[in-house]
Amino acid sequence: MTLSGWEAVFFWIFAIAAIFAGLLTVMARNTVHSALFLISSLVSIAALFIILGAEFIAGVQILVYVGGVMVLFLFVIMLVNVGLEERGDAPIFNRSAQVGASLFFCLLMVGGLLFAVNNGVRALENRDQVKDGPTESPADRDKSLAVTATRTSRLSKETERVGASLYRYAALPFEVASVLLLVAIIGSVMLARTIKQEAATDDLAPEVLQDEAKREPELAPFVHEEGESVSDPNA
Amino acid sequence: MLSTLIPALILVENEGSRLQTVWDKVQHPDLSKFLVIAAILFIIGVAGVLTRRNIIVIFMSIELILNAANLNFIAFSRYLLQTNNPNALAGQIFTVFIIVVAAAEAAIGLGIVIALYRNKETILLDQIDLLKW
Repeated sequence: MTLSGWEAVFFWIFAIAAIFAGLLTVMARNTVHSALFLISSLVSIAALFIILGAEFIAGVQILVYVGGVMVLFLFVIMLVNVGLEERGDAPIFNRSAQVGASLFFCLLMVGGLLFAVNNGVRALENRDQVKDGPTESPADRDKSLAVTATRTSRLSKETERVGASLYRYAALPFEVASVLLLVAIIGSVMLARTIKQEAATDDLAPEVLQDEAKREPELAPFVHEEGESVSDPNA
Repeated sequence: MLSTLIPALILVENEGSRLQTVWDKVQHPDLSKFLVIAAILFIIGVAGVLTRRNIIVIFMSIELILNAANLNFIAFSRYLLQTNNPNALAGQIFTVFIIVVAAAEAAIGLGIVIALYRNKETILLDQIDLLKW
């Protein structure tokens, strides 16, 4: 697997963009800026997926991450608006000793990973007897594919193959993933409920509700009903 | 004079050919380049998780880590496709599931952040120390 020509150029552009955007995600003081840098990093990684010939995954990445997860992040950032860090009044990183130790271990991990990648890839290529030099260009590879209506490019068989093998080899995990998403939906709805909503659905213990009602007058109507139903058997 | 010049010239020559091979490698990025990019993204994510105070930024760093793993999977998938391995698409399928799990994790995590903010009025990790002794 060796890229060449424009593929190589775009590989370097998007790789460097992904790394810089990732760095700025971690370094940005404003959380909204962080989220926007993360979006650009994810888009660059999607472009790398396209360079690697995984068009379907790139599309899923854009739709799910940029269209779904990052919008959720931005919603929550707007909801829990913390201005202290953004105005520069508070540090954005932990204590310096903690940061120093973290960076030391990260550097160790960089060394270990680069060493492992270097040796591992060489051993892998020895095992598979990969011939050196660039492989066939994408234009040659796609000659047998149908042309699109605009006649500028060719239709890829990528999505078809991924879909077929997804259902052929991973049908059970696919169904389990749907259950996982259902659990996530229910879990986040339960977690994000306000105390008023909990009181309205009768999910609070009467004592807790009475305590809360002393602080929040909005909860008073719910307490009244609870109080009557509790006090009736006593009377 | 000449005896010192010749080794220097050979050194320059060697340096030139070494630069040439490096330039060749830059022009033809292979599997290892993708793995190195993914490793760097992973480290950036780990550094973010370990050093930032803001929970939301920590979640975003986790997304970065998961994406580095995805990049590795796709790169290996392409590599195996080239060697005509029958299981080459397993990497892409695994990536789909990682994206699903990341979406579920983000939804649950952000739900927890909202509940936390409602109770503690903060999302800075060093101020959420209820479980600390």
